[in-house]
Parts: sequence; structure tokens; C-alpha cells
Amino acid sequence: MNRRGFLKLAGVLPAAGLLPDLAWAAEPKTKNKTEASKKIVTSSKRQKAVVLIKLAGGNDGLNTLVPQRDYSLYAKNRSATLIPKHKLNEFPLDNGMSVNPYMTSLRRWWEQGDLAWIQGVGYPHGVLSHFRSSDIWETATSAFEHSEIGWLTQVLPQYKQGLHGVVLGEGLLGPMAGKDCHTIAMQSPQVFLSQVGLVEDIQPINHGSAALKHVVNIQHQLHNAGQQLKEKLASPVRLPGFSTSVLGRKLESVAQMILSNVDTAVYKLEHSGYDTHANQLNVHNNLLFELAAALNSFGDAMKQHGRWDDVLVITYSEFGRRVQENRGGGTDHGTASVQLVMGGRVSGGRVYGENPRLNDLDGDGNLHMTTDFRAVYGTLATRWFGVNNPWSQFGSVGFV
Amino acid sequence: MNILTFSEARHLVSRTGLGVEWESVKNLEGLTREKAVEIVLNPAPAPVRPAPALTPWHKLEPMRDDSAQGRKDAWSIAQNEGKRLQGWWIEQMLLTSSPFIERMTLFWHNYFPSSIQKTLQPSLLHKQNLMLRQHALGNFRHLLKAVARDPAMLVYLDGYENVKGRPNENFARELLELFTVGTSEYGQADVKAVAKVFTGWGISPGQSEFAYSAGQHDPSPVTILGRTRAFSGDEVIDLLIEHPRTAERLVERVWQNFVSGKRPDKATVQSWAAQFRRADFDIKALLRVVFNSPQFWDATNRGSLVKSPVELLVGTVRMANYPRESTGEMVNLCRLMGQQLFDPPNVRGWLGGENWISTQTLLVRASYLSKVSRGNLNRRVDTGLRLPPKDQQEMVNWMLAVPPVNKLPEIPGSRRLANALMLDPAFQVS
Repeated sequence: MNRRGFLKLAGVLPAAGLLPDLAWAAEPKTKNKTEASKKIVTSSKRQKAVVLIKLAGGNDGLNTLVPQRDYSLYAKNRSATLIPKHKLNEFPLDNGMSVNPYMTSLRRWWEQGDLAWIQGVGYPHGVLSHFRSSDIWETATSAFEHSEIGWLTQVLPQYKQGLHGVVLGEGLLGPMAGKDCHTIAMQSPQVFLSQVGLVEDIQPINHGSAALKHVVNIQHQLHNAGQQLKEKLASPVRLPGFSTSVLGRKLESVAQMILSNVDTAVYKLEHSGYDTHANQLNVHNNLLFELAAALNSFGDAMKQHGRWDDVLVITYSEFGRRVQENRGGGTDHGTASVQLVMGGRVSGGRVYGENPRLNDLDGDGNLHMTTDFRAVYGTLATRWFGVNNPWSQFGSVGFV
Repeated sequence: MNILTFSEARHLVSRTGLGVEWESVKNLEGLTREKAVEIVLNPAPAPVRPAPALTPWHKLEPMRDDSAQGRKDAWSIAQNEGKRLQGWWIEQMLLTSSPFIERMTLFWHNYFPSSIQKTLQPSLLHKQNLMLRQHALGNFRHLLKAVARDPAMLVYLDGYENVKGRPNENFARELLELFTVGTSEYGQADVKAVAKVFTGWGISPGQSEFAYSAGQHDPSPVTILGRTRAFSGDEVIDLLIEHPRTAERLVERVWQNFVSGKRPDKATVQSWAAQFRRADFDIKALLRVVFNSPQFWDATNRGSLVKSPVELLVGTVRMANYPRESTGEMVNLCRLMGQQLFDPPNVRGWLGGENWISTQTLLVRASYLSKVSRGNLNRRVDTGLRLPPKDQQEMVNWMLAVPPVNKLPEIPGSRRLANALMLDPAFQVS
């Protein structure tokens, strides 16, 4: 049902032809709004949510957090991809690193203590294949193990029942892969709702091929998720002007679902284009600029609605990039990189993990990792989701 | 004697064609398996539609060096022409009389993916499609050598930037990891060595053709998979292609695409790979083995593959001559179902199988099928629709690979029945 249809049913749309937006603005004065809000308070508790953003392609950690103190070593390896020294005064951190100047708009979150960085993140014997390294990151395995079960699939079923996650856009389920995680993937909530009415419920079957069982099971999940979303999104929340990039639009949808109390624990989306083998500088700076703008909009929306403490945004990427740039003005696949964490409950204004050692590289010319990515997952498992930590041997990071 | 029943003929058409066209099934029904497989493997040559208007690489590429505006213009040209190119292939698949060639071309596009988004060169992707088409049922060794020289591939995996002194490892890694031996068989040192061998393989600035530049080639000896010498690129391909895992990995992919969603057993993979190597990598010889195998005909493998978006979109229209969406809308639907032609998600291609079906894509599939099949259920509107089966059972046997999950409608009418069958989960599998 669209918003107008809902309003009509709820009796708050007095005359046909009145613009929905006007009806919305006038609405707090009506009695029905009070009833509607009462209903929301009683029927849904505030669901906390992790927003997972994959920087797909391998994000260059060295041009995200630039080694300001070791600038000459950094500049020895970079020329076409070099961030100029004078630009590093815009968003310096207190540990000799400085944030890429195209992310300066995020500085206020850092100063409020709501933004943290984790650096040197990776795993021993870093693999340089996108797919293998993505698989490793998304299934929390080592360089020598293979698994098809996402790391969140090892966490979320302990944490809640029902819908576990929503994947926005065309990315794969990745961290939520595996049959025990109830995940729905959608282009956008609007597209989802306009089509889900066509789907009839069907009970899972125990005969036939795995393919047929899968189709039936997905149809069943789809029907249930559709019922929930239809109910929750019937009356959209007003959001402040949002960043208009593709990533911004996706985060806007996430914000809408969180503020409508959709009952799910994780939202996953992708920001792609980070595989910068050639002409990196402008491309990468633009990507970080887009990312920062989208995060600003998202943070503002959450704050405005008093939900900033209920959300945690974290980025990840399959690997970082080679210290020495290549001849095409780009960088090849590397190892350790950085992660950004934001949210009201984040212990921010801090960088976790050791600074990159540019004069101590591995045989391929890549950085050594100093923080295992599974320590980050373990921290989320215990301190955010409050469940058993499958990765306790890797320690924790303390960013939340 | 293995004379094909209607259901068996249907199975062969459904796995090798685009849509189960009634006439194609009827043509194979009653033949021996061997005869039917030969008919499938030797399709009559069908014309390829004329190339859409595309700006050549050597016109488009210099625009990017000019100015910010030039780069912007080049970008919009690439976006518009990219859609035109996608439409070209969709129309080719809708209209061809030899759908098997399209399926094989698509198979190779997925095996050796390149993307209009990464390359921003639709004209090179069109050229690559013609190349894949030419080798689709030819020899895998020749195909791989053509892929290594293919301009779209040289851009997609940065091979044209791979020069002496500053190697770019992208093509070398995927050649090892995806196109030939697979992850378990090589190390980073092999990647570096292979990259060195392919230094100097690029594109001639004036002609959009492969060009080798001796000045940018590093001829020093390298060690690849334990052998040391000064290799040529073709010698590296020969070395990699002889590795047993190369043929086995191709066999595994053929299995996933044509035989079953279950994993193949090791003995089958090894036996088919050995026959493929003995046939000197003749692709048609491998497919002959596959389509005549007991595994291919095993009834438990019916309905074990998920239809790809192309099969669902193009196949449904071809099957019963349903009215089709505009070409632009077909391209768009293909994207929403997760199979944007000439733009696979990454160099591994589309994962396929059960991955085709997520809540998102199932939704688009359901909307499409419902729109295509709905019409007016009580009247026979003359849309050119062809539903030849005589009765309900024949209709079910024709439209579905396995029995329907839902109950059939009680109100009679072939169009209503077809609508119900298309919205049944069983219609999603092949």
C-alpha cells in the first residue's frame, strides 16, 4: 500500500487531491496521529542495527588514512596517487595519521567521539584475489580455510529470531550467506513493496531438487518479509535532505527502515569502484567523498530522530592496496587496510591498531597486518549483539 | 535403443535451447539420443544481427585524454551504447533459429567475463562477443589464446597496462585462478612470472586491434609452476592448458550449467576431463560426451538447475510466442534479475545456480511472468500466442520440468492453466 492509501484508510486524508506532503505536515494536529504513534510505541521495540558497508574492490588504506608522520616514506612509493602534504592538515588524527581530505566533512563526528578508525586490519598470509579474500572476510576464515557460512550467520541466529538482515542493492548475501540466516535482498524498499503483493505464501516442501526447495523457501521468506515491511513502511518517516549518490540513496532507504522499526539486526550495502588499478587519485578521492557525504546524511537522520545510539555503521573491504603504485597511476591488490566505525555508542575519536610500517613490507611489497579482522567481528558479537564470541582467540578491539 | 520420449526431448531442448519451443521438442521426440544430440551439436548457421552503431575504441579513448568534458562525453557515449549493445544481444537471442549458439556464447561470456562498465568500451565488447561466438563450439586452446589477445579483455583485466619494469598482475592472476588451473595450484610467485611473460601485450592505438610491443616486453626467463625458461605468452597458455585441473575446472562449469545443481563426483569430472584432453580440447567433443552421458539423462537431475534470467526472459517469450516487452525493458529486466549482459558482477562471472534466486530476484521474476501471462483469462485474444498441447497433462509436461508444486486451477482454459504453471515455483527450474 502506498502512503496515500494508508493515510486514506487511517482517516487522516480529508480530501482527495490534497498533496500527501501537505497532509503529512498537517497531520500532527489530528487525533489519529496520536493513536498512530501510540500504536508504534506499543507494537515495536526499538531494534538496534548494524549497517555494514562493503567498499568493494579493495580500498587503499594508505590513501584513506594517510601516514602524515611518515610522509616522506609514503611519497617515495607514490607520485600519481599521492595525496599532497598540505592537504593533510584538514583532518589530522593524533597518531601521526591524517584522514583523506575528501572526508573532512566527517571531522565533527570524530570530535564528538562518534567516529573511530581501526587500522592494520587483515589476516595472516593475505590473499590477493578479490573473491578469495572477500570470502575470507565474509566467512571469518583463515587464508587456508574455505566456508560458505557467513560470519553474521554464526552470530545472528543466537541474537534474534525472524528476519536477520536486509541486503540493499545487487550485492550477494556475503556475511549473511547460509541457510540459518534469514535475509532479504532488495533493490529498494519501494521496488520491493510494489511487487511483493504478487507473491503468494507457500509452505516449504521436502521433496524435489535442492533448486526447487530453494525457490519455494525463498518464496515463503519473501511473503513473510513482505507482510512485515508493508505494515512498517506504510507511513514513511520524514528525512532531512539526503546525499544523492547511489550510496546515499541506499543509506536513505536503510534510515527509512530503521526509523520505521523494521525488525532486523543488520543492513548490508556495497559501495563499489575501489579496485583502482589505474588512474586512482581522482576516482578514489571521489569515492571517499561520496562515502563521507552519505555517512553525514545518515548520521544526521539518526540523530534527528533520537536513534543514533541504536546504530553502528562499519565499513570493510576485501583487502588494501600495494604500497608502491603501479605505472598506470593506480595500485595493485594489497593486504592490510582500514575500517571506519560510526555510531552513538562507538568509543570514537580514537584510532585502534598500529600505524602502518612502510619500511617493513612482505615479499610482495605489501603491509603486514597488525589487527586480525576477526577481533573486530568478535567485538561486535560480544559488545553489540551480546552473544557468544566464535572468534575469542583473536581478542577484541574496544571500539564499542 | 534409447528412443527419446516427449519428456526426454523436452529435457534436451530445455538444457540446450532458449525456451522449450513445442516444434523443437516434437522434432527430437522419437529419435535416438545419439541422433538428437548430434542435431543439437550441429545447428544450422544462423545469421548474426548487424552490429549496432558503436563508437570505436580509437575514437572514444582519445576523448578521455582531452578534458574533463571529454571524459564526461565519453562516459555518456559508453553508457548509451552499452545499452544498445545489450539490446542487440537480447534481440539476437529472441530471434535466432540456433539458440544453442547463444547459450554457448553466453557460457563463454561468463567463463571469460569482461564488462562495459569497467572498460567503458562497448565496441570492444561487441567484438569480443563475435570472437566468443566464433569459438563457441570450437577448440578451447584456440579460444583461450584469442581471449588473451582480445582487446576488451586486455582493457578489462588491465593487460594493456602491463609493461616491462612495471608489471600489472591482474590478467596473470585471473588467467591462473579462473581461466585455467585454479587457486590451489599456484602461488604469488607464479602470478608475477606470468605477468612478466605477458608484458607488451596491448592494443594498437589506431585500429582497436591486438598489438604486441617488443619494446615493452620483458623477455627474461621466469619460473612458472616449477618450469624455468623464457616463455612466450602462447607457451604459457599451452603449459596451463595441459595442467589436469584446467580441463577439470571447465568440466565442473559445464556440469553446473548443463547437467545438475548437485556436485559432480570426482570420477566423472576426471573421466570427462581426460576425454576432453584426448580430443585436444575440442569443445564439441566434450559436449558430446556430456549430452550422451547417463548423468545428463538421469531423471533425478530434472528440475535441478535454476533457470538463468536470460532463459526465463527470452525463453518464456520464445516458448509460446508471448507478447514481449520492448528491447529496452528486456535489458532492464535482465539487470533486475541479476544478469546484466556485458556487465557481469566481477571477473568470476555470475555465480548462477541457486544464487539466481534471492528474495529480490524472485520478486522481479514473479512480476514479469505475471505480466506476460496474465492477459484476459476468459477470452482467447489473438496475440499470436501458441499453446499447442491438447490437454492439461500435455500442457504440464511441456511447460514444466518437474510436477507443479501448487494445485492446478479448477476452471478450465489453456491460457489460465499456462498462467498458473508459469507462476508455479517449478517453472523456475530446468
